[in-house]
Amino acid sequence: MFGSRLRLFLVIVALLVVQTTILVGVRVHGAHPDAMLLLGISAGMVGGSKRGAAVGFAAGIAADLFLDTPFGLSALTYTIVGFAVGSVQSSLIRPSWWLTPLTAGLASAVGVVLYAVVGATVGQSQMLHDNLAFITIVVSVANMVLAIPVTRLVAWAMPEGPPAYAGAGTALR
Amino acid sequence: MAVSRRSARPRYTLLLLILASATVLTLNYRGHAQGIISGAKSGARDVLAPVQSALGAVLRPVGNFFEGALHYGSLQQENARLEAQNQALRSQAQGAQAAERENQSLRKVLNLPYLSGMATVAAEVISTSPSNFTDTVVLDKGRGAGVDVGMPVVSGGGLIGRVIEASRDRSTVLLITDPTSNVGVRFGGTQGNLAVAAGQGANQPLRVDFVDPHTKVSKGVVMTTSGLQDARFPADIPVGTVRAAHLRSSALQWDITLAPSVDLAQMQFVDVLEWAPSS
Repeated sequence: MFGSRLRLFLVIVALLVVQTTILVGVRVHGAHPDAMLLLGISAGMVGGSKRGAAVGFAAGIAADLFLDTPFGLSALTYTIVGFAVGSVQSSLIRPSWWLTPLTAGLASAVGVVLYAVVGATVGQSQMLHDNLAFITIVVSVANMVLAIPVTRLVAWAMPEGPPAYAGAGTALR
Repeated sequence: MAVSRRSARPRYTLLLLILASATVLTLNYRGHAQGIISGAKSGARDVLAPVQSALGAVLRPVGNFFEGALHYGSLQQENARLEAQNQALRSQAQGAQAAERENQSLRKVLNLPYLSGMATVAAEVISTSPSNFTDTVVLDKGRGAGVDVGMPVVSGGGLIGRVIEASRDRSTVLLITDPTSNVGVRFGGTQGNLAVAAGQGANQPLRVDFVDPHTKVSKGVVMTTSGLQDARFPADIPVGTVRAAHLRSSALQWDITLAPSVDLAQMQFVDVLEWAPSS
């Protein structure tokens, strides 16, 4: 278990460096990918709802340390998205390869909108501006492209997979 | 019963983590834990700064490749525009030298506040905003070099923003185009009209508010910082040029958009002014 946590920590740090070094420079009309959100989503897909929430929380805190938005906003959003993805994924009887990027894209869209809505409730009303739709599209498409490699990275960090009791899908199988 | 207890564990985890996140968010919103949060942010940024610098030097060409591929056409146009502009600026520089000498003499006489003689810290922009919802840049200098929160930042002869975060080796600048940025401006001479230039987002012109309908304003007017008492910026720093000015019938103010004096998407080197508002 300690090995898995160490690997997860390394994955979080590595993606944080990639996000703040490379991905912030890959912009389409000012919007750039969000790998830390994808990390929580991938953890949900690989490890189930509980791990999705936990990794989403850790990734969100790590992201908040480098953002100028309210501290805790990313942690709250990524926790909810990671949990939700894990819950949905665990109810699938036979997951297909194309579900990974599709799930990443949809969950990213929900995550970006949720982030802006929660941000607006804590005084950041400018987040609900005209560019929100465009940011949502850019993040979703970028995360669909990055979904498979990031999910494989997370699977390497969590080789044990989801817990046996994760979600109702266990009963369906 | 055992199955339902086990399936409830993820929900307990979710609830716990949501409570933790909401607590941190609330504390930050109310300003109670600002010192701890700022310290944690500064520490994290300083720890990662050497790693980011090293990897940035190696991996920046990768980012530039994607950036160039996405914007090849506009880069070509921008290159041609800059070459033409360079030629024009060389000609203007020669004429400006004489005017500068006269200006310095007059300011000494009138004792007006200005940039000349103000201490500055030269810095390089090493990263753009890590958030999709804020318009900021990260500089390669921090408190260790004399940069502090609140200091104005200029580049290429115009205002670009102010420092909002400063760790030992890094600082974050809130650009004037950020929707939360407001700059007090003046136009029409030293005793001219006052207004506020508000950001509208990255790559967007500024919006100028509180210009009375009876005021004369037109396209091409240059607006500078007003430098009033307790203002965030010293006086007379160019902010932008009026791009469009419309006055609708029975409107309470002009609809004015301001093009920033500095191309905020292309700047690389900036100067941080070691200046604090007088209060």
